[in-house]
Parts: sequence; structure tokens; C-alpha cells
Amino acid sequence: MKALKMCEVTARYRGADRDSLSRVSFEIEKGEMVLLLGARGAGKSTLCMLANGLIPHAIPCTLEGSIETFGRDISSLPVAEHSTKVGIVFQEPENQLFCMSVEEEVAFGPENLAVDREEISERVEWALEIVGLKGYNDRPPSSLSGGQKQRLAIAASLSMRPEMLVLDEPAYALDPIGRLELYSLLTDLKRRHGLTVLIAGRDAEEAATCVDRVALMSAGRMVRTGTPAEILAAPEPLRSIGVPPLQVSELIEALGKKAKRFEYGAITVDALAGQIGEALGEAGTDR
Amino acid sequence: MTGFVDLYSENDTFLHRLDPRVKILSVLLLSLLAFVLSTLYSLVVLLAFIFLLLFLSRASLSRTWFALRFVLRFMTLIVILWPIFDSAGTPVWATLGPIKITEPAVWRGFTSAARVGCLACVWYILMFTTSQRDLVRALVRMGLRFDYGLTIAISLRFFPSFMATIYSIIDAQRARGLEFNRGGLIKRSRKYVAVLVPAVVSALRTADSLSLALQSRAYGAKARRTYLRQLKMRRSDFAALAIVTALFVVPFVAKYVFFVHI
Repeated sequence: MKALKMCEVTARYRGADRDSLSRVSFEIEKGEMVLLLGARGAGKSTLCMLANGLIPHAIPCTLEGSIETFGRDISSLPVAEHSTKVGIVFQEPENQLFCMSVEEEVAFGPENLAVDREEISERVEWALEIVGLKGYNDRPPSSLSGGQKQRLAIAASLSMRPEMLVLDEPAYALDPIGRLELYSLLTDLKRRHGLTVLIAGRDAEEAATCVDRVALMSAGRMVRTGTPAEILAAPEPLRSIGVPPLQVSELIEALGKKAKRFEYGAITVDALAGQIGEALGEAGTDR
Repeated sequence: MTGFVDLYSENDTFLHRLDPRVKILSVLLLSLLAFVLSTLYSLVVLLAFIFLLLFLSRASLSRTWFALRFVLRFMTLIVILWPIFDSAGTPVWATLGPIKITEPAVWRGFTSAARVGCLACVWYILMFTTSQRDLVRALVRMGLRFDYGLTIAISLRFFPSFMATIYSIIDAQRARGLEFNRGGLIKRSRKYVAVLVPAVVSALRTADSLSLALQSRAYGAKARRTYLRQLKMRRSDFAALAIVTALFVVPFVAKYVFFVHI
């Protein structure tokens, strides 16, 4: 069973003059971590909200094609039912935290699902421990840093025990340390807890080394999907759709103009260092 | 501005430990008592009792002064203005043209000021010793619909953010050369449109994001939701409620059954 299966999906918001998604077919396996990469207006947020059922249940939208999450058609069940399978975290942590304490924030979802008090307590402690906020129970969310707020939003989703977590540009408002902490947490969620993770983002700098697959979107269409190396190594295709290339591939590009030995392929600093080392070795031998 | 919304300071006093429902009921009873009492002396005694409770709440002096200065200004205003607009009674202490300052009116001014002081300060006890979270939780437990409780909680939670947004917009507009202090009243008011429009748009966006966040967390999924934290009344809560009830009932019966002038 696929975690997400979209077949020829076309979506248009009410009153919009163009489709936000146009004949998109896309699948995510259970336990996979996928980066949905695209510029602003590529259709990433629409796809994220479709996965959670917010579209069409909370946001009116004309839909064509079929969307299934864990074998269930999204149009047949309300958002509350979907939220127990697919949790969603939005871009702005500030706007998705509305309770007066960290504990209440995490307990809010299970309370709405009328889960037993003892179990809610267990879930809260479990979720806060996973995201590294154990002991913050009575703190007001407003007193947390940006990274901590985003991790709290993740804990609030996790307490509903979803099988898949969808994050819509989660690192957008975070500083570099907050970004690293976030991707480390998401990798941990996938590896240790077997969670399926879909991350939407405008750049792939930190996500490149964590995800199993990258899906490239542009103007509501799915352009390409593949491994991070296949999609992210060459800078030009990314630039052409408004996505900033990885700094590593930009460096390879710059080096390649000076010496032909450098070829695209490395997406990490270590891999590039290897290439440079080899090139320097060859240069030494030539001499 | 944000400080006025949340006056709570964390402390470990018996007032902090009291069940928030007991505190709400006690504050309501003491507020009603301020209307039952009609003499200056009895109101001063009540005010002293309320100040004692404020002192026992161990709120910092700066916080207490921040809260009390508004009440003191208002009380002073009442003491000054009351005899000017109320000229009933004798003896007349002074005559300033059409204005007669009489002795009973002066005392009535003091009495009203004391009553206002009691009404305001008694609510400060609640605000100093009860977190917003406990306050909302208590209101919901006292029968307020969860939807309304959540609305209050969200309003309290986002008020400081909204004010911060407004101040940021004001700063941004000033940086672009908009001078809010120049021109007449109408001209100045028009300048604030440049602040209000982006502030309202920002608030609407926040509300939109909030509604999605609420729905994605199964808000309204079940007719009856469960609660992680429950409020429990202890012996000390019952005792406190009994004392405050007695404080209200005794003067009430004395005044309306035995017609004692207090």
C-alpha cells in the first residue's frame, strides 16, 4: 500500500484563473522521505494540503483525478479522520500554535479525538521527548525560539499518531541552526519511527542529504522525480524553474569552467572534496 | 500594552494554589459586596482587605504599581468631580459661581471612589494569581462552551503578536517618511489607515492559517472531547469559598434583613 498515490490530479481553487495542479501523478512509498522542490507558485502547498484532506474539505477546490492516502480516498473522509493518518505542519510556526502552554498544544489533537486522559498524557510526553522539548510542558509557546516552535508544531502533529508527516516549507522562517535541527529530527523520525515524510521546500540545501527522493515541480506540474543526486547535481535545470541550485553544484560549475576535470554528480561537500582531491592528485602526477 | 493583558506572575502562595473557579466566584462575590456596602468606612475596610490579599499575592511592586496607577488616577478623578456635579445636602462648604460644594457630596465622592477601587483591585487579585490558561480552563469547566473558551484563549494568545505587528508596521511606515505626529486630527487619522490596512490583512492571514491548523488537528471531530488536565477542588478551596461567601452573606443579611446601615 502506498502512503500517497495521486493519479492525473488537476486542482483549481475557487475563483482562480489557472490550475494550481495540472495532471499530477505522484506516489510515495511507506517509510519514504521525499522532498517536493519548486519555486513559489509551483503547486507544492496545494499538493501538501491535498495529502492531508484540507483540500477539498476545508478549502473549496475543483478536483479531477484520484488521490489516496494509505489506500483511502481523500474525498470520502473528513479532515479529522485524515489527520490521524497524515499530519501536516505549516510554514509559519507562529500561526499554528494557539494554545497557552506547550503541553496543551500537543494534547489538543488527541483531546479533540476524545482519547483517554492517560493515553493523552503518554502521547504528550512521547511527542515532546522525540522533538527534544521534554520538560517544556508549562512554557507558553510564545516563549520558544523559532526552531523550537516548529518542533512543537511537529510534536502537536505527532501526538495524533500519524503514519505520514507533511511539512509545507518548514524551514523557511528558521535560522541555519534551526534548519539543521529540524532536518536531523525529520531524519530521526523516518529512521527510528518509520514515519513517511513529505517535505515541501524552495531549496534543497539541507534536505539534499536526508531525503530518499526529490520531486521537482514547476507551474503546477510534476517535472521530474529521482534520487537527490539525479535531480540536484546539475544546476541549470533547477535554475530554469526558479529553484536555487546547491552551493556544491554551483562550486563544481565554477571549477568546471577553469578545469574540465570537474563533472556534476556530487551533492555533498564530502563528495566534492573527494573530486577535488582526485583532481589535485592527477595534477601532481602530471607534473 | 501586552503587560496589561497578562498581569500574572508565577509564585507559590495560597492564592496561586487556589482553584481558579474559587477565585472567579470569590472575586464576583467581593465585587457584589462592594455594591452592598454603602458607607465609606465599610468600603475602606473592604478595600484594606483587598489590598491585604494583593500584598499576599506577592506580586512585584513594579507590576502592582503598573496596575494600580490607572485605578488611583480614576479614583482621584471621581473624588474631584463628584462634588462638582452633585450639590445635594448641607452644609455647603464652598460656592464657586453656579457650583456648590457640599459636605455630603464630598463624602459621597470618597465613597464612590472607594467602591471603584474595590471593584478594580479585586479583579487584579484574580489577574495577578491566575494564569490565562487556568482562567480559560476554569471558565470552560464552569459551563462556558469550549468553542468560546478557545476563542478567548486564542485572543489572549495572539493579542501581543497583533500589537507587535502594529508596532512593526508603524516603524516601517515611519522609516518610509510617514510622520504620524504632524497635521490636524483628521489628517493624522488618515495616516493611520496606512497602519490599519496591513494590520487587518495580516490578522486575516493569521486567522486563515489558524483555521487550517485547527482543522488539521481534528478540531470538532467529536461531540465530546476529553481533557488532559482536570480541575479538582481541595479542602482549602472549599474553605476559601466558604469564608468569602460568609463575608458576602453577613453584610447582605445585615443590610437587607436587619436594615443595618453599613
